[in-house]
Amino acid sequence: MVEQVIGNKTTERRDIPIRKRDSNSTIAIRVRNVSKSFPGVQALRGINFELLTGEVHGLVGANGAGKSTFIRMLSGASQPDTGEIEIQGSPLLFEDPRLQRGMGIAAIYQELTIIPEMSVLSNAFLGKVPNRFFFTDKRRMERRFAELSRWMGLNISPHVNAGTLSVANQQMIEILRAVQTDQNVLIMDEPTAPLGPFERARLYDLIGRLKENGVAIIFISHDLDEVLKLSDRVSVMREGQLVETRNASKWTKDTLVRAMLGDVQIVAGEKRSHATDEELLHVSKLALPGRLFGLSFGLHQGEILGIAGLVGAGRTEVLRCIAGAEPSAEGSMRFAGMDCPWPRTIREAIGRGIVLAPEDRKRQGLVLSRSALSNLMLADLHAVAAGSVIDRNKVRMRGETLARQLGFDSKRLDTEALNLSGGNQQKLVLGKWLNRKPKILLLDEPTRGIDLGAKQEIFQAIRRLSDEGMGVILISSDLEEVVEHSDRVLVMARGRQIDILDGRDATVERILNLIFAVESRAIDAGAS
Amino acid sequence: MSKVEALAPGPAPQTANWRAQLPTLIRVYGIVLTLLLLLTVVTIGNPAFISQQNVFNMASQWAPAGIMAVGMTFVILTGGFDLSVASAYSLCAVVAAYVGQTHAPWVAFAAAIAVGLLFGLANGILVAVVRINPFITTVGSGFIINGVALVMTQNAAFLVDNEDFGILGAGRWHGVPYSGMLLVIFLVVFGFVLARTIYGEAIYAVGGNYEASRLSGIRVRTVVASTYVLMGGCVGLAGCIAASQLSSAQANLDPGIIFDVLTIVVVGGTSLSGGSGAMWRTAVGLGIIATISNGFVLLDISPYYQSIIKGSIIVAALALDTGLTRLVRAK
Repeated sequence: MVEQVIGNKTTERRDIPIRKRDSNSTIAIRVRNVSKSFPGVQALRGINFELLTGEVHGLVGANGAGKSTFIRMLSGASQPDTGEIEIQGSPLLFEDPRLQRGMGIAAIYQELTIIPEMSVLSNAFLGKVPNRFFFTDKRRMERRFAELSRWMGLNISPHVNAGTLSVANQQMIEILRAVQTDQNVLIMDEPTAPLGPFERARLYDLIGRLKENGVAIIFISHDLDEVLKLSDRVSVMREGQLVETRNASKWTKDTLVRAMLGDVQIVAGEKRSHATDEELLHVSKLALPGRLFGLSFGLHQGEILGIAGLVGAGRTEVLRCIAGAEPSAEGSMRFAGMDCPWPRTIREAIGRGIVLAPEDRKRQGLVLSRSALSNLMLADLHAVAAGSVIDRNKVRMRGETLARQLGFDSKRLDTEALNLSGGNQQKLVLGKWLNRKPKILLLDEPTRGIDLGAKQEIFQAIRRLSDEGMGVILISSDLEEVVEHSDRVLVMARGRQIDILDGRDATVERILNLIFAVESRAIDAGAS
Repeated sequence: MSKVEALAPGPAPQTANWRAQLPTLIRVYGIVLTLLLLLTVVTIGNPAFISQQNVFNMASQWAPAGIMAVGMTFVILTGGFDLSVASAYSLCAVVAAYVGQTHAPWVAFAAAIAVGLLFGLANGILVAVVRINPFITTVGSGFIINGVALVMTQNAAFLVDNEDFGILGAGRWHGVPYSGMLLVIFLVVFGFVLARTIYGEAIYAVGGNYEASRLSGIRVRTVVASTYVLMGGCVGLAGCIAASQLSSAQANLDPGIIFDVLTIVVVGGTSLSGGSGAMWRTAVGLGIIATISNGFVLLDISPYYQSIIKGSIIVAALALDTGLTRLVRAK
């Protein structure tokens, strides 16, 4: 082990901040024949499942396959209709999520549960604050936070408000919160969705170390490469059933996809069409004080321009500037061959035909309490109205046309957006803008957390529109996706433009090399 | 129900499985059942309740609160709140009475409505543009408005000695009170605005998700501010009706009316967090509150018990609504 310097114990100790467990192969969770139905939906049917101590168990399935319902049940948040769940040999009682802590399960849900107004420290210990008598033991919290941060390779100040952190860092705090409770079982639902490649690598490393210490992990992700790489065994869910469990080495990406989708045919990625020479938009010397530094690039008619970069590189800011959402943006814009002032308001940009489908569909994209149809019409109400009175027949017709274009089930047009799956919600965000027939569509993470089928339908719709002449700028944390769908790729790091790659030359490896060259230079510079 | 219901708030899409839909249906129409139940109980207790005379009297009596509830529905749908209503209502009545002493009634009423609109605009700008919390803004402006009324009247009542001044509040056409007609017209017209126009759709969108609406190119600040202006106009008209009914006005006309107005909107099922609700709900809420109040009198219930029963019905209605919402959304 590591040498200990007497008198300086706390700084030199390299102890692991969680317990070491025996990892002899006992069963951590056993699920027998569990079913659950909601009004009108059979969410789970006859699930049988075992989680072994110290294993990483991948769980995959299309949206709506029942994964989230299943793990909510394991963490005690919802009760099965039939069947039983045993945690380390004792049956699970469904009363209070707080009891689950005692049962040895911690969960990281897909939706962030960070409280933005509270400090990072308070968030990290939410629900289980170390205390002495009636007072919170702040010193102990700080010590444990520092210990865990070091172990997890985080560098986040415990005293800032959690709301000021990037989504990626908020997610890391969420993970830290689950890890600090030091439970035997950890459930992670899409933990990597908001993370960039850098943070992902850190999380993979963390999962490996948790496993060494005998923690059993259920790992849910839409990124199949990741699941195959991390898991010992992988289970596939489809339509509320657990279809198959195999060792990870017995699965391939193809067999997984086939098991997830059942009999559905997968359309191969379409060939890239070549963009025209006509430049639709030219941005020069775009700057946003402290965030973006002199970007210049063009967007051709019918082109899909991808922007690749790590979380925090400034990708979202670029789109927001172009869409008029950042009043302090500086730079000049040539639009459709004419110089025009930089758009200062959203409405100004929309007036030119530039629209933004934002990153956070629930908070920025949709009015969840309204129907799918209302959401589709939101950005262009005047087009479906006579004077100021809305023509419902026109609304219905437009809605149905859009639904067809997007592969959205038109029977669900009257459903509240709240009750739709992530994929369907994303189709609405997209459809809302397609309804305006924009000249330029800015897409920020259009596929985050949605299943393969919906992803394909979304990209097919985007490709079709770009073929008709629309210019598209695409951001995705999934670099493969950027490479696969972009005609050109703009690579960014730390608010700066590094390179623009031609689609044919762009590979994930090349992009990462470009980014990490800049990142490591920055880190070196910071260290010296 | 035709397929063109999409943009209308309220009715949920029908499915074959009505049993599974039952909680949703009760959630949507439960409030209507409550009203029908109350109407039945009071009518059986005292058939005079449904006499033409009584119904018209109620419509006239509840016109000020009802018209203000129309404005309040808009404000609450955008996620706002207006607590300055009671003070502004009194001030507008005072202005109407003051001007009415020397000028023609229509001048008096126009002046009162203008004052209402003006204070509404001030509230709207403070909430939507300066972005002060609506609760604080309107509590503060309520004090100011009340102060203005007190200074104007020196806490005395203004009496109007002009028979024409009373027509708006007490006049009738073939027995139907003008004030009651105005109430119905407001409910119908603004109900239509809310359910069928671009403006109405924007109100729901802004209340449901402010940021998403802004990013969709809706003029969010204008929309929010406009609801306070509309509220101000409704308060102005309500003040006119009250002054006209009494042929007088004073600075503290009816401080408790704010609770009636809020209760009418909320009991109807319009959500205080904004984005969901409807004008028909406010109409039903008005029906419930008016029936309870009138029923107490007709059934000769001791006034000491009235508060207890009224409070219980309101809390029970909201508990039912919240409980069912949770049941419906428990997924």
